[in-house]
Amino acid sequence: MIAASRIAEVEAGRPAASVSYQHVTKRYPGQDEPAIHDLSLEVEAGEICVLVGPSGSGKTSALRMVNRTVEITEGDVLIGDTSVRDRDPARLRREMGYVIQQIGLFPHRTVAENIETVPRLLGWDRARARERADELLGLIGLPQSLRDRFPSQLSGGQQQRVGVARALAADPPVMLMDEPFGAVDPINRERLQNEFLRLQTEIRKTVLFVTHDIDEAIKMGDRIAILEEGGRLAQYATPAELLMAPANDFVEDFVGADRALKRLALMRVRDIDLWQAPLAFVGQATAEVRAKLDGAEVPHALLVDSQRRPVGWLSESDLRAETVAATPDTGPEPLLDLDDVMRDALADLLQSETQYAPVTDADGRIAGVLSIEIISEFLGSPEAKVEEHAAIERPVEQPLGE
Amino acid sequence: MTGAIATVAPLVGQVEIHNRTGQNAPCQAQEGKVFCLGWAIDNFDRYTTPLLNQLFLVLIAVAIGFAVAFVFAILSHRQQWLVPTFTAATGVLYTIPSLAFIFLLLPITGLGWTTAIIVLSVYTLQIIYRNIVAGLANVPMDSKDAGRGMGMTDRQLLWRVELPLALPEIIAGLRIATVSTVAISTLMVFANVNTLGAPLYQQIDFKTNIVIAGGLSILMAIVLDALLLVAQRLLAPWRRPSMEALI
Repeated sequence: MIAASRIAEVEAGRPAASVSYQHVTKRYPGQDEPAIHDLSLEVEAGEICVLVGPSGSGKTSALRMVNRTVEITEGDVLIGDTSVRDRDPARLRREMGYVIQQIGLFPHRTVAENIETVPRLLGWDRARARERADELLGLIGLPQSLRDRFPSQLSGGQQQRVGVARALAADPPVMLMDEPFGAVDPINRERLQNEFLRLQTEIRKTVLFVTHDIDEAIKMGDRIAILEEGGRLAQYATPAELLMAPANDFVEDFVGADRALKRLALMRVRDIDLWQAPLAFVGQATAEVRAKLDGAEVPHALLVDSQRRPVGWLSESDLRAETVAATPDTGPEPLLDLDDVMRDALADLLQSETQYAPVTDADGRIAGVLSIEIISEFLGSPEAKVEEHAAIERPVEQPLGE
Repeated sequence: MTGAIATVAPLVGQVEIHNRTGQNAPCQAQEGKVFCLGWAIDNFDRYTTPLLNQLFLVLIAVAIGFAVAFVFAILSHRQQWLVPTFTAATGVLYTIPSLAFIFLLLPITGLGWTTAIIVLSVYTLQIIYRNIVAGLANVPMDSKDAGRGMGMTDRQLLWRVELPLALPEIIAGLRIATVSTVAISTLMVFANVNTLGAPLYQQIDFKTNIVIAGGLSILMAIVLDALLLVAQRLLAPWRRPSMEALI
């Protein structure tokens, strides 16, 4: 019973705190140019702010000034209302999760002991720290059997998860993550990113996240701060704003020529205007269906069942019969969902070499049809300023023969 | 070396070792034999005191050497510019020949345990110091970064991260220092301490004696080395066997 209430207390958590950079400048001794130049940035509580930029842009220095592993030369960083300069560095750091690319697990301590590091520094008793470690192992999806292993006995992905768990151990209001997934292979990186985003919906920490990878920034960030060389803030915006309206040539360059395609990664199928296909029902007169085909957005009839769930596309030969048969020549695949990410939807279309795909709602009922043309038009629209649409202009086959 | 021994011969004479007369007479006839078992069994108790003395001397000397080297190493860990200074200083001390060292100390500490302990501890400094420094330097940067970033103070980082991770190298240093101290400790007979060197030098022409005294000394080195190796494995369970094999 005591245990249950304690866990509840931990889960309720400490509220996330905002982080505010106020005209922060960092000069390293012996360097003429400041590494960070008058940086001002507001990170709202509970948001993921990604600091991204080329090497030499000072993104890691900017991150480390928050926990004072790098000292501020001028200006200030506020956590909530408190200046980090007024805090004892060691105490300040115990209130911030810290994840680095090299993970930095202690090789001589077990997984559980690693996770217990900050709670022990904060003076929690052994039992409470142990309980918290077990709870976190569950949260990051690692089996309890790993708790007494040494880090060298874990895979890279498992080590990185333990690194995240260790950072979360004392339920810090702020998390600092310095290229946390930079050292893992691409497949594991994607998995870790997704896991962290899922975790973040539960824990709602304020996260400062450094990366040099713009794709990772777009994926992870609620907001992205793009830093230029010398630590100048080039743009601070949501991923969509960044892709739609880069503030200057540097940002445009950094975001990349394929930023229109990247935007697709941020959109869901429901965000775009879908076309409607003429619907046909089993037993309906084909003449009626043919009549609907004239001037329709989609020049093919879609057979749906009584629940309006797509069954397949009707071909010319299907329509030669008197009435619509229950088994059309062509199935409805690829079948998309309104919540699918646009980039994945496009990939499905390209892969199945069809031009149209029925889109269904959560109940599986037809909501519209997505076509290559819609995406192409969207990418070609002035707002998306497509520069490289060659990729999607490859010839595609019609879903119907002849 | 022979000259040196001749010079200190009077010192050796002062050590009350054992009664030479008669006991080994039956063995003298078999002078050609390397080892005279009967004599060894009859006279084994002669070696008990020298053996215990030597063991005690080694343990005390290594303990004191470790304590001093540890303080030096921690000081120079905080002030890196001290490293070359301490390395050079302990290095110079290490080059002093043992007999010369005893004579250098004669006017100050005279003959006896104090002199022997000083000489032996000083010789361990170089090896132990360098191993502690190397061990601390080899602690992975990212472990230190993570520790500091999570809010460890310098002291907490030292005791909870750096020293535990340096432990295998530190113990490796202790092992070398212990083995060499066992060897040099036999010479402490010249400081008038009844170590295994005493029977060794007194009957240098009696092979059975050489085999027993020398053998006990070697055995002591092997046993102490093995104990430290066991300690290392117990204290550093995270090291995989493949890594331990390198030490």
